[in-house]
Amino acid sequence: MQQDQLIGEGVGFERIRRITGYLVGTLDRFNNAKRAEEHDRVKHDVSCCSLEEEHTA
Amino acid sequence: MIEQIVKRDGRRAPFEIEKIANAIFGAAQASGGQDYEMARGLADQVEKLLEKTAGDQIPTVEQIQDTVEKVLIESGHARTAKKYILYRNERTRVREMNTRLMKVYEDLTFQSSLENDVKRENANIDGDTAMGTMLKYGSEGAKQFYEMFILDPEHARAHREGDIHIHDLDFLTLTTTCCQIDLLKLFSGGFSTGHGFLREPNDIRSYAALACIAIQSNQNDQHGGQSVPNFDYSMAPGVRKTFRKLFRDNLAKALEVFGADDNNEVDAKTLTERIERETGKWACLAGGNGYDEAMAAALGETLDEQTVQKCLRFARKYADKETRKATYQAMEALVHNLNTMHSRAGAQIPFSSLNYGTDTSPEGRLAIEQLLLATEAGLGNGETPIFPIHIFKVKEGVNYNEGDPNYDLFKLACRVSAKRMFPNFSFLDAPFNKQYYKPGHPETECAYMGCRTRVIGNRYDPTREIVSGRGNLSFTSINLPRIAIRSHGDIDWFFEDLDRKIDLVIDQLLARFRIQSAKKVRNYPFLMGEGVWIDSDKLGPDDTVGEVLKHGTLTMGFIGLAETLKALIGKHHGESDEAQNLGLEIVSHMRERMDQAGEKYGLNFSLIATPAEGLSGRFVKIDRQRFGVIEGVTDRDYYTNSFHVPVYYPIGAFEKIAREAPYHEMTNGGHISYIELDGDPTQNLEAFEAVVRAMKEAGIGYGAINHPIDRDPVCGYTGIIGETCPRCGRREGEGVPLSKLQKLGLYKHLNSTTLGYHGDPAEEADRQPNTLQIVKD
Repeated sequence: MQQDQLIGEGVGFERIRRITGYLVGTLDRFNNAKRAEEHDRVKHDVSCCSLEEEHTA
Repeated sequence: MIEQIVKRDGRRAPFEIEKIANAIFGAAQASGGQDYEMARGLADQVEKLLEKTAGDQIPTVEQIQDTVEKVLIESGHARTAKKYILYRNERTRVREMNTRLMKVYEDLTFQSSLENDVKRENANIDGDTAMGTMLKYGSEGAKQFYEMFILDPEHARAHREGDIHIHDLDFLTLTTTCCQIDLLKLFSGGFSTGHGFLREPNDIRSYAALACIAIQSNQNDQHGGQSVPNFDYSMAPGVRKTFRKLFRDNLAKALEVFGADDNNEVDAKTLTERIERETGKWACLAGGNGYDEAMAAALGETLDEQTVQKCLRFARKYADKETRKATYQAMEALVHNLNTMHSRAGAQIPFSSLNYGTDTSPEGRLAIEQLLLATEAGLGNGETPIFPIHIFKVKEGVNYNEGDPNYDLFKLACRVSAKRMFPNFSFLDAPFNKQYYKPGHPETECAYMGCRTRVIGNRYDPTREIVSGRGNLSFTSINLPRIAIRSHGDIDWFFEDLDRKIDLVIDQLLARFRIQSAKKVRNYPFLMGEGVWIDSDKLGPDDTVGEVLKHGTLTMGFIGLAETLKALIGKHHGESDEAQNLGLEIVSHMRERMDQAGEKYGLNFSLIATPAEGLSGRFVKIDRQRFGVIEGVTDRDYYTNSFHVPVYYPIGAFEKIAREAPYHEMTNGGHISYIELDGDPTQNLEAFEAVVRAMKEAGIGYGAINHPIDRDPVCGYTGIIGETCPRCGRREGEGVPLSKLQKLGLYKHLNSTTLGYHGDPAEEADRQPNTLQIVKD
């Protein structure tokens, strides 16, 4: 058995996202508009204290 | 003398004067004319003029048609000329569409989905497969056929130009959108899939398997998704039957071991039948219903007290253990099946949604718990299941607060959702859902299709305000931002034009409904033939379905409220109270118009927050061509989903919930709000639950929490992956040395086909046991 053999060359990461309510197995299947939308998504902060700062921003 | 002409494709054909005369006569007839001789005379004039203008050249079809127009106008036949031009334009359009369709087919055939956006219109259809491409041929061809020959030209134009979007246009003449399937009714007495008959199931494993088959069968009769509105109540009888059988089987084993009974299987069967007859009860998961005591007394007729107790303890212990195991296996198989079984000629898997969370019976609770655990565990290699969509129904007094009988399952649902993005959460206490809720009647608990469609109110038959057997018939969305752009800030004009578009949509939904109504039961062998749709069991195979379809909804949708507000007043509803107020005014106006249409026609008109996937890019593309790049309106590649605060806008989770919640009440045809969480929510379940509770308190109907789920198929790591995998350290596309994987304990089989694709030992070690407290009746 060759110990220096490389495993997984050319294999991508899977990135599961949600669109319209359905999950989608990988971003490759998204249409162009949904790719753009997914790219733009920002996170929503859940800590109460930083909430006010967010608002004034 | 002209002898030949050049056709459009360049070939030559003999010149026939009668063809010109016939075309002129046709146009004259369309405007009331009757005189063929005059048409023939005009054709002679055309020929003379052509001889002059063409000279030595052979005239083309276009030249001939131009000449006909000229002659008609100059000889004072204005009305005939107009008809002739109209006819000519129509023929040109049809010709262009044929050419366009062939171009679409060419691209579908020779481009991969990487290059071709049409193939990626819906992310859950694999456009690169043979059947996926065949489906697209059918779909694109059907759309053009309907546009040319079926649709009212005004509706076709509005759709083509992007004022409105007729969803699932490729199915215009074929079927309806979706249905909420009552599995218990379907299973009772068995059912046929259209390809074979299945007996009523008698074991939780068969219940789960048949649930998948029902979903798969129905998916082929409709163009949308399939929802089970009460999955827990539907599986509970399967658990009950399984426990009863396992109790009897284990009693038989105990009789042989402790009672030295050689005829044990027959004895156990006879005793079971006798006790069930005498008490009217079955052995059950929770016990305490008198069955065990009656069985003890019967066993005591031949066995001593100590042996009797030993036998019963044994039977109960192993029946309990094996029922749990069987239920887990059933739910695991269900999740696997719903992610692998084919539908629609193999291009898709069924779009399935399961609603559950409120059945407090021990059997229903066990089904919920095991389904959640199977989902948490993931698929064969630990992958996140894409289907079914899970919708956990949150209800005060049932599962929302500490002390509620299913509170433990709510906590478990949060934990699983933090890892797998499902379940989503629906809120039965939101006033617009609560108004239908009748305790003890699961069919009055509001359910959702996974995509967000909601069908419960019933104007057509107010005595049937239930979820089961009903669904959406069709929906059409309005391009709100375009109306706003064209209004140039004139709010009154905006509402006037909105009303015109709403009139158009109502008209179009009714036209489509008339086509749908003329269909027969035999067009839907499962949906109608097996009585899945409400009241279809009262119809024969050749009856039309129009009357029972009236229980379904005709729905108007909208996209881009945020861009609309930007265009109208320069701010969207996430950033300004003024915009929020205007947004609420716009959406409530649309809802009022739907209510009025419902009143007028006696049908279930409703308003949906459109789940735009294919549409998200279509409108904005057309609008940017027409109106140019407008900041905050047409400057991105998508319009924002329905009433959502734009995804790019920084806003706190609780503020976003507060801003979107009021729109849920107005959109009675369906709605969903999303919160995007940063990081790994499994490490912060408190925050996760706080978001769910905030949704409930704000009056949201249906919500979900998004968080990134990445997976490296090489080492099996599931979580967030940036540039490099946190576990094996590789970048996307890079290989990892085998020795490194072995050191991490991650590599089991050196085999090129199983290469790297295996379970996740680290994840498996993290799984938490979850014991279920059985509630005694």
